[in-house]
Amino acid sequence: MATEARDRIAARDRIAAQRRTVDAPSSVRDDSDDEMIVSFPEFIFKEFIASVAMTVFLIIVSFIPAPLLGQANPGVTPNPSKAPWYFLGLQELLSRFPPLMAGVAFPTFVIVLMILVPFLDRNPSRRPSERKVAIILFALYMVIVVALVLIGVFFRGHEFIWNWGWVLGSPQSCGGAAC
Amino acid sequence: MRVIRAAIDEAYSVMAQMVGSVFRHGLPLTDKIAARTALTNFVLHIHPVRVRRSWIRMSYTLCLGGLSFFLFIVLTVTGLYLMFYYVPSTQHAYQDMRDLQFVVTFGGFIRNMHRWAAHAMVITVWLHMARVFLTGAYKKPREFNWGIGTVLLLITLLLSFTGYLLPWDQLSIWAVTVGTNMAKYAPIAGPYTRYLMLGGRAVGDATLLRFYVMHVVGLPLIGFLLMVIHFWRVRKDGFSGGL
Repeated sequence: MATEARDRIAARDRIAAQRRTVDAPSSVRDDSDDEMIVSFPEFIFKEFIASVAMTVFLIIVSFIPAPLLGQANPGVTPNPSKAPWYFLGLQELLSRFPPLMAGVAFPTFVIVLMILVPFLDRNPSRRPSERKVAIILFALYMVIVVALVLIGVFFRGHEFIWNWGWVLGSPQSCGGAAC
Repeated sequence: MRVIRAAIDEAYSVMAQMVGSVFRHGLPLTDKIAARTALTNFVLHIHPVRVRRSWIRMSYTLCLGGLSFFLFIVLTVTGLYLMFYYVPSTQHAYQDMRDLQFVVTFGGFIRNMHRWAAHAMVITVWLHMARVFLTGAYKKPREFNWGIGTVLLLITLLLSFTGYLLPWDQLSIWAVTVGTNMAKYAPIAGPYTRYLMLGGRAVGDATLLRFYVMHVVGLPLIGFLLMVIHFWRVRKDGFSGGL
């Protein structure tokens, strides 16, 4: 057993040494971005690290209880009634614009526009410095969406009326990701 | 002594054969072995055998697509566990949630994980879209895959939304009432669409069953198929890589 283990270790060292000298001349293995590398194990290792980090994160947050209110009661409407947070931007629009526009036209338009983005963007460049318009438009879109969601989550209270959450508290509303 | 030694050697070779039957190529000590491993391993075959370093730079991808898929797997596994204890009827649903919280082993923990992972997935998918846009990765030849990605984002939202109703508490039915009310504003089709979603005029037993079926079978199946195509296209259209 002992000799066999020693042989195996020696073989491993020999192969590793070969890899360093023959398989990886310094002229090819330049550590630059353009270098082709074998995806296993480098690529897989990165994915592994990311998934382990996410697992640790999930285990930690899973000690926070998920919300569970009283049993559903169709006779008692909570005020305000809010959609899940990712739809609160839409609900916010509904409170400001005619329903046909906010509830149907806007979302349909945005979805179709999103799918068509690669065909509408005629600029072949991928460098950020050469696509300022696209990046500014997208940033604007992101800011609007995030702002609408934040308003819906934090600044809409009773009757969906504007409410500075930190002044009045948020009566019966559920704030943030807890919804 | 010699007999014992022979027996140990034999046991060792049987074990080596067992390990070798699963991991065909041993440790990836050379690039050739590593390449062959990636090529012939079921789990690894999703990846290209060779990648450019710039394609997989973490500061470029931020791992957001991979993390979204990982969260989908976490949600599938935790969701299966929750399904063992959950009956989608207005009679049982809420009590089942209480039982999950207080009676079932790890029930509360698994439910919390399912909930937070779902929120996290909405965020990672959204950020993945932002990253792809900001790096211009949707440009030719990846236009179609961007479209699939958009649909996958919608499916993620719908999965989250259908799951929202299932606890059958005051939060769920009223959030879903508000959400489905948006549908009824569509011209002509609106009220019919809402009726189709709810299985009636108000959120009730039929709605709970419909949302449950879509949540645990319909949408995950469609989503999974689209994910397979999405990953396939990433391979075939090529990684977008650095700027």
